[in-house]
Formats: sequence, C-alpha cells, structure tokens
Amino acid sequence: MPTNNHRSIFADIDFIACALYLCCVSIGYFTIYAAIYDPQSTKSFFDLSLNSTKQLVWIITSFILIIIVFALDYRFFDVFAYLLYVTVLFLLVIVLIFGRKVSESTSWIEIGNFRMQPSEFAKLATSLALAKFMSTSGIKIEQRSSLFIILAIISIPALLILLQNDTGSALVFSSFVLVLYREGLSPWVLIIGVVAVVLFLATLIVGQLNLIIFLSSVCFLVIILFYRKLRQIILICFLLALACSFIVSVDYTVNHILKKHQRDRIRVLIEPDFDPLKTGWNVTQSKIAIGSGGFWGKGYLAGTQTKLDYVPEQSTDFIFCTIGEEFGWIGSFVVISLLVGLLVRIVIIAERQRDNFGRIYGYCVASVLFFHFTINIGMTIGLLPVIGIPLPFISYGGSSLWAFTLLLFILLKMDSQRKLVLARK
Amino acid sequence: MNSVKQEILVRVQIVFLLIMAFSVAIVARILYIQLIDGEKWYNLAKEFGLQYRIKKATRGNIYAADGTLLATSIPLYKLSFDPTIAEDSVFNAGIKPLAQKLAQKFPDKTAEYFEKRITDARKAGKRYITLTNKLITYRDKKEISQFPIFKEGQLKGGVMFEKVEERTYPFKELAARTIGYINENDQGTVGIELSYNKDLAGVNGEALYQKITGGDWKPITNTSQIKPEEGFDVYTTLDINIQEIAHNALKKGLLANEADYGCAIVLEVETGYVRAMANLGRLKDGNYSEIYNYAIGDQGSTDPGSTFKLPSMVALFEDSTRLKLTDSIETGGGSYRYYDRTLNDPVAGGFGKITIQKAFEVSSSIGISKLITAHFGKKPQKFIDYLDKFGFTKPIGFQIQGEAVPYIKKPTDPTWSGITLPWTSIGYESRVTPLQIAMFYNGIANNGKMMQPLIVTSVRKADQILQQYSPMARVEKLCSDSTLHKVKQMLIGVVERGTARSIRTDKYKIAGKTGTSQKIRNGKYIKSYRTSFVGFFPADRPKYTCIVVIDNPKNFNQSGGDVSAPVFREIADALFTMDIDIRELTPNAQKLAQFQANMPADEVGHIDDLKQIALSLGIPNYAESGLEWASPYSQQYMVKWQKKEFKPNLVPSVKGMSLRDAIYLLENKGFKVSFKGRGKVKAQSIMPGTTMPPRGTTIILYLSDRATKKPNQKLALPKDTILKVPEKNVELEEEEQNETNLPTADTISNPERKEEKKVEPRKTENKPNRTAIIR
Repeated sequence: MPTNNHRSIFADIDFIACALYLCCVSIGYFTIYAAIYDPQSTKSFFDLSLNSTKQLVWIITSFILIIIVFALDYRFFDVFAYLLYVTVLFLLVIVLIFGRKVSESTSWIEIGNFRMQPSEFAKLATSLALAKFMSTSGIKIEQRSSLFIILAIISIPALLILLQNDTGSALVFSSFVLVLYREGLSPWVLIIGVVAVVLFLATLIVGQLNLIIFLSSVCFLVIILFYRKLRQIILICFLLALACSFIVSVDYTVNHILKKHQRDRIRVLIEPDFDPLKTGWNVTQSKIAIGSGGFWGKGYLAGTQTKLDYVPEQSTDFIFCTIGEEFGWIGSFVVISLLVGLLVRIVIIAERQRDNFGRIYGYCVASVLFFHFTINIGMTIGLLPVIGIPLPFISYGGSSLWAFTLLLFILLKMDSQRKLVLARK
Repeated sequence: MNSVKQEILVRVQIVFLLIMAFSVAIVARILYIQLIDGEKWYNLAKEFGLQYRIKKATRGNIYAADGTLLATSIPLYKLSFDPTIAEDSVFNAGIKPLAQKLAQKFPDKTAEYFEKRITDARKAGKRYITLTNKLITYRDKKEISQFPIFKEGQLKGGVMFEKVEERTYPFKELAARTIGYINENDQGTVGIELSYNKDLAGVNGEALYQKITGGDWKPITNTSQIKPEEGFDVYTTLDINIQEIAHNALKKGLLANEADYGCAIVLEVETGYVRAMANLGRLKDGNYSEIYNYAIGDQGSTDPGSTFKLPSMVALFEDSTRLKLTDSIETGGGSYRYYDRTLNDPVAGGFGKITIQKAFEVSSSIGISKLITAHFGKKPQKFIDYLDKFGFTKPIGFQIQGEAVPYIKKPTDPTWSGITLPWTSIGYESRVTPLQIAMFYNGIANNGKMMQPLIVTSVRKADQILQQYSPMARVEKLCSDSTLHKVKQMLIGVVERGTARSIRTDKYKIAGKTGTSQKIRNGKYIKSYRTSFVGFFPADRPKYTCIVVIDNPKNFNQSGGDVSAPVFREIADALFTMDIDIRELTPNAQKLAQFQANMPADEVGHIDDLKQIALSLGIPNYAESGLEWASPYSQQYMVKWQKKEFKPNLVPSVKGMSLRDAIYLLENKGFKVSFKGRGKVKAQSIMPGTTMPPRGTTIILYLSDRATKKPNQKLALPKDTILKVPEKNVELEEEEQNETNLPTADTISNPERKEEKKVEPRKTENKPNRTAIIR
C-alpha cells in the first residue's frame, strides 16, 4: 500500500478513546483548580505557582509526547521493549540510592528543578516487556519456566518499588494477574486469590480464633452430611489446615510484619470509627466531603470541605472527593462512566489487535488503569484501604500524567497501525 | 480450535464483568454515601465532635496621643497535652525530666504529680489533659515547648498551646469608662471599645476543633484554616498624664465633699482634642470608681446651672451690640417674682443695682434672667436660635456612643411658659451634658472658633492610616470679637473677684464660671446641689479648657466656687507647670527619653514627693493607688512607681532613701537614729530583714557623700547629668512652694502623712524629701 506513507500520522486513531482521554484531563485540570482554590488569593488564574497551572503545563507536554509517540514507527516499542524495561530498572535502582524522600517514600529523582517518579514509568516498561515476552513464539503460560520468567518480569520492578517504601505503586503490579488470566492462566489462581482476600478480611473482622472454629465446624458438618470417603475427608482436612495456616499467617503478618500505619489503614476499613482523627482522618474527611455533596453537588468552587488543606493529598490521591463534593453524585457518576468507558474501550481495542504483542499490551494497559481507578476511588469512599496511588489522568502530578498518557497512546498508536500488521501477516 | 476461542471469549467476558462489577460497586457506594447516608456524613463532623470553630482575631490596641498603650490584648496560652501521641522510646526517656521541668515551672505541683498524671492518662488512653489551669505567657510557651517530649511538636509530642487573648488596660482605673471595656464575647460594651468595636475587633477566622470531654475544644492543627484578620488600632487624643492629674484631682474633690459623682474633662483649645475625661461615681463603700461616663451620658446630663449664663450673655451681647459691661441692672433685694415663681440670688439682702460685669461675676440669677427676659422676652425663638448655633440643642455627635440627647425648650413646645425663658437663661429647665458646656467654653477660648471635641484621631492598620479625624470647627465664629472681649472680661472677673476668687492665682490667669444648680425632686427644689466649674487658662492665651462637675456634695461646701473650682485649680496648676517644664527643661523628646532611661532606680522615696518631682520635671508618671513608699522604674514613655513594702516586724531597708525619709521611717519603728556623712543612705548598721530589736535601739546610717557618691549602677550618663536634675528642680519647687499653699484634701485623705509631721525633726517643712534632694 504505497499511499500509507503519505497519510497523516494520526490517521486511524481511535477517536472514542482520544475523546475520553481529553475529557478526563480537562476534568482533572478544573478539579485541581477547585481543590486548591482560595477565594482570598490574589494570584491570577494562570499563576505558575498554582498546582492547576503546573498541571496545565503537564497536559500540554503530554500532547507533545502523544505527537512523538505517533511520529515513531509502530515497531519501535516492540523492538525496544526490553531496553526500556532495563532502563527503568536501572532508574529504580538509581532512585533508591540518590532519590529524594517525599512523605516516607523515596521515589523521586531530582535533576535541578525537574523531579520525576520512575515508578510511574515502570508500569509502562513492565507492560511492554511483559507483552514482548509473552508474545514471543514458543512461550506458553502453562509452562512453568515461562511462568517463572513472567513472574520475574513483574516482580522485579515491584520489589524495587517496595524498597522505596511506596507500597501503593508496588501493589499496582499485582493487577497483571488479569492479563495472565486472559492469556490462559488457570482460573484457580484467581479463585484462590479471591478466597485469600475473603479469608484475609474475615480474619481481621472476626479474629483468627473465631474464624478457625467457624471453618472447622463447617468442614465437620460437610464431612458428616456429604462425604464419607477417606480421600475426600483427607482433602477437606488438608484444605482446612491450609486455610487455618493462612489465617494464622495473616494474623501474624498484620500484627508483626506490617508497619503500624499500614496496619491502621486496614483497621480503619473494618472499624470506620477507629481513630477518626489520625489514620481515619483522610477517609473520614473525604467521606464527609463526598457525602455532603449530595445528589447535585455544591457547585463548582463552592465546596467547603475540600478548600481547606486538611487532606494532605488534596489534589493528588484524594482528588475524587473534590469531584464528589462539588458535582455530587451526578458528577461522580459522569467521571466514573468516563473512566469505565475508557477501560471498556481499551479492552475492545486490545481484543481487536491482530498480533499478540498488541493484545497483551492492551490488556496490561487496561489492568493498570483498572487497578488505579478502583483502588483510588475505593479508598476515597472507604471501600478499600488507603493506598496512595493517583487517579489516572485526573490527579495532579506530571510523572503520573505522562506515564498514563504514554501507556494509553502507545496502545492507540499500535491500534491505528493494526491494518499494517494484518498486511504483514 | 473452536473451544479455545470459546474459552477466550468466556475469559474476556469475565474480565468485562469484573470491571463492571467493581464500577457498579463504586457507583452504588457513592450513591449510598451521598444519598442514603448523606445526612449522616453531613452530621458526622458533629458526631465526631469535629467542628469549625471561630478563631478569634486579635483585638486592636487603643493608644494615647503619645503612643502609650491604653488598651491591648496580651496573648496567653492554655497548656494542654495529648500523652498518647509520643512513641514509647520518646515517652519513656522524656517523662521523668519532663515532670521535673514542669514542677520547676509550676511549683504548686510536684514532679511526682506530673509524672503520675501524664503516665496514668497515657495508660488510660486519654487524649487531652490540661497540665495547669494557669494561662501561660508567650515567653513561657517558648520555654515549655523545648521541654522533653514537648519539643517533638504537636504531631509527634502531643503538646498543644491554645491561644487565649486577655484584654488589659495598663492604666487600670484611668479613663476606664472613656476607654471602655469588652464583655466575655470580646465585644466592646462602653466607651471607645464599644464605639470603635468594628475597627478594633477584626474579623474572626475559622479552625477545625475536636470536642473533648468537659466541653473543651482541642485544636486539630496548629495553623488556622481561615486566618483571622487582626483588629485595627485606635489612636486617641488622651494624654495619660493629664488624665491622671484630672483623675486624682477629681477623686480628691469627691472624697473631700462626699459627693455622689463627678467628672472632669480637659479639652485642648486649639484642636478640641479631649486630653482627659475622668468620670467617678461613688461606690457603696465610699470609694470612687469609673462606673459611668457622666461627661456625656444621661446621668450627667442635667440642669447646667450658672455655667449656662455664658451662652445667654453671648447671645445677649450678639443681639444687642450696644450693651456695655458697665451698664447696670437692678437685682433688687435678692428675690424676684416671675409670674408664680420666685427667683433668689445667693446673698441675703440681694446685690441691689449692679453692673452687668458684676452681675455675672457674682452669678446673679436675677440680674442675668432679667437682662435676657428684657431683650428676648418678645422674641424667645431668637434666643433659642442662638443656643442652637452654640450646639446645645442637639447631641454633638461625639465619637463615643451613648451621648445624652440635650433638652432645651422651644417656644412652640406646649410646656413653654412665661418662666421658661428666664429659667433657661440661667441654666434651668434644660438638660445639656458637661461636654457640651466644655465645647462652648472652648469655643470662646479659641476666639469664637468652636471646635468639635475629638477623642479619636485615627484608626490604623499597623502604620497605615485607615481613617483620620482632623480637628474640625463646628462653628467658625460663635460671636463678634467685641462680644468675645466682653465675655472674656466677665469670665476673668469671676475668678479675680467673683464666685471663684478662691482659686485666683498670680502665676497665670484663669477665665471661668462657677455653676451651682439646685436639684429638683418630685417637682420641688431640694437642698441638694450640682456644682461645676468650667473655664480656660491661661486666659490671655488659652491652652486648655476644663470642666469639673461634682454632684451632690454633702459637706459644708455646697457651691461650685468651693467644691468644683478647687479641683479645676489643681488640674490647671499641674497642667501649667507641666507645660512650662516641657518647653523649658526638655527642648526635645529625646532628652526626656534619655532621662527616663536613666531613672535612678535604687532610690526610694515617699510617693507624694516622687510624684511632685516628676510633675515638676514634666515626666509622665503613673502610680497605682495604695502606694506609700516607692522607687521609680522607667517604662517606654513614662515612669512607673514600684511599691516598696516594709514588713511590720522586720527591720526595714532604708537604702536609697533621703535621710529625712529614713529617719521618719525608722523613728516610727522605735529606733534611735544617728548618721554619718551626707547625702542618701548608703548602708545601715542593723541589717534589713532581721527581726526588730527592742525599741530605743540605736541604728547608724551611713550616707553617701555627694562628692564620693558613685554613680548608680543603672546610670549610663555622667554624674553631673543626674545631679543637674535636682538642681534645676530647686528653683522651680521653691517658686512653687510659695504659691501652692492652697488648702487641699491632702490632710484629710492622708492621715498618715499628718502623723509623719509629728516625728519630723524639722516641723516647718511639709515636703521633707525635697530638702534632702537639694542637699
């Protein structure tokens, strides 16, 4: 197809995904302005010391990144996936040595006035590397050796980030399980994961002794009523022993291995009234803010709870409570719809890729965004423990906006060229 | 192949389902929070005891004309502590030294007490305890915040300092009613505090607090969320020295006459600035206190009496320019009938036929009312028009709220009768405030230009002037120059020969008028009077106008000339001396300040003597009542007297005293005194503070020879500078001594001083300290 070379680089771009992206970043900009809005401030709307104006700069530079991504050959990411991955790993090591400490976490590299967070880009690089490895012919997820390498690709950056004391960002890497599942990982992994989470929460809520007694009696009843064969009894007993040891280990982990603030964050989830002023402070205030928004919200810039800087991550991690307060349920619903729409669109895009690399990468993008989106909003409304990760495209922050933009638009670039892929095949 | 496709499809569907399930869960949860639970979250702040509470703005200061603070808010702090916050390592290491430091700081409690209280509270999980009920100062706060555990700050150490403002009035009683007070809600209730409340109060901010047991509120963070805007400062025209002079003179007058209440106002002639406004009312125990602003309020607004004869005469001379002071008027045998009412002159037998000048000087009510009735009888409205011009018919719009509405009858009023004009002309059947009278006399003093009395000159935000009140003429010319000349002659005559001749002095001329109005109860005049004296001085170039009102004197003296005029004279004397001295002795303020900075702080004297010296030197000073012996210590703009106390059963320290004072004090205690050397007491043979030896024991005083006297430790100036001051003092005081032989209330109010004279070796002098200084 000779004409292809003369087409615009943005030809065949997925219009819906682009529109959803633009909506999200605009909402982000205006919400950040509202979150830091000070009616008494004499600063102009575009004062560079305002976070909202800085965010505008990040948005504009993101557009430049988009142009660069689209100007590159679509094979670039495929070819350089491992190189990018190694580079990011190198940066993650660098940050551990030279990094700057911001609120307990050493996750920033500082070069002059410019600061960046390599952990944000690690998600992108890991996605690319994972896609590259899994799409290599001959690699099958059922094979133990392949699975081992896959887990290594995911966990190396996660561990490095964990060492930075940035648990939230490290947890994001667990979202790749979704990709693995799509690519053929046994559903048991997911099921066991769900059971583990349920047991984990149950341990915290009812206490380990109660839970063990409860499970034992359930097993006892089941054995008496349904199973008589020795093999079945042994299996059930084995499962029970497994569950009990898990419960004990959970209890031990929570009480002895987790740090106090992590333990408290989990505790707050179970007992909302526990320590409402310290650990529960952010969530309590966030819930008050969202709750006081009502159905229609208080109106733009009219929020009272979020104007006062009591929530430290007002324009980053807790940006959603500004939306909830000022735009009410309607506004929250619109924002969530936009994000879900984007997610669904990404899955659709992933599914229509003709090569494995594109599809797997698409699923990686969807998983990462999904994790961010649920965890972030979940924590602001007290559904999930407080894990400090940003709301994609909306929260304040250059590194995260750049990283998410690249993550999304590399996929859109591949998508726009999928016909060429087909032609190649 | 198909089954693989099928399985992938299922997996994709599950992924979709997962995304949707979580999204739906989130949306539902938000719906729940906002709509079903919305009310709960809305009220949760209160449930948790979280509330935005007002953070009080710092109230502005009130300043005297020279910048002296009259009212200010001192920040104090409430010390509280959350003992559960500190980490174990910090807490265990810090608790003992902390308890010790706290016990040192607050000696009423032991270290064990603090340790137990804090440890117990930590164990019990109490998140808020108070460590002391006392409010602590900023300096203490700084010190305490460095204590162990506390130095970790509020978030890690748990210490909290809540700011509480306390309104203080450094001059206590002085001008208390004029400056005003605030109530428990920090709103001004009277005086300038009320009238300028809006400016002073500032705008309160908001901060987040948590409710704790006992109805207290604990601040969540140290920084306020909405910052309070500080109140503005109000600068007044008050001069604290003049205020003190007026206050003390008035108090003395009231005590001597056992009067009900009194007020004294001093206006600066040229500007109309209120330099002093003292108001004293009698308390049940016979003392006097600033309880009501009689100068402007309803209670002080009564029949002005004879002081009102001046406006009447000004009106008369203006309307009848050919009238001369030497023209005569028949006042008859001391009583005169207007219709059904009789008017009496104060002298039995009457004054007979006298000149207008004389009628005014002796305050002949018959004479004045006859003159007015003769001239204005047919046109009473004209007379009222004059009073209107003079500012008597309406409130003057003074800067302090609560001004009484004056009452002057109009010919159109139904109560206007045949006797209204004559009665009004001599200050009856009407009500005006002392301030109105003073304002009018001040206008006469200022050559007819009647200034609006001002007490506030500016409202400022730090150094920035927000509002300025400049001197302003209410009436450019009250009357013609010839009228002015005539009335001034009459006013001078009142003091020279008339009803106020008891206060005449050669030093300077006073122009003024006495007033003695009989009170009416149940429509009948009773034997109860309201005395006043209003005037200005020096009469040829007036600097100050002053009015003194004393209500219902109960002793022998009952007239304005005998009750109020002496108070006026005392104020005038003090002001006159002060004024001269400020001009002659201290050409610039710097020198004055230098002198103050070098106040001989270790010298001790009798408070009356010290004040006399300070007054003569024009040094602003202030003493609390109840002082006897004192030593000076300098303040920023003034000298304050520090009380020197002597315990009855211990040998007193007389170091720094003049020999005279020392002998008086020691002989009173039963010592025999001998001394060596000259000058002030340097040392004494029996150590101060030891128990008293038997009566008749000899004590030897060692005096510092003047030549060998070493400079005071605090003095930085060369010796002669200090010595010069008393020397300059010599002529002044001697000069004054010749003239100030007025009978004063001193002897009555201070019986102890009388006793002093008995022990004094030289009985002829009544100011013992002075000679000592001169020597």
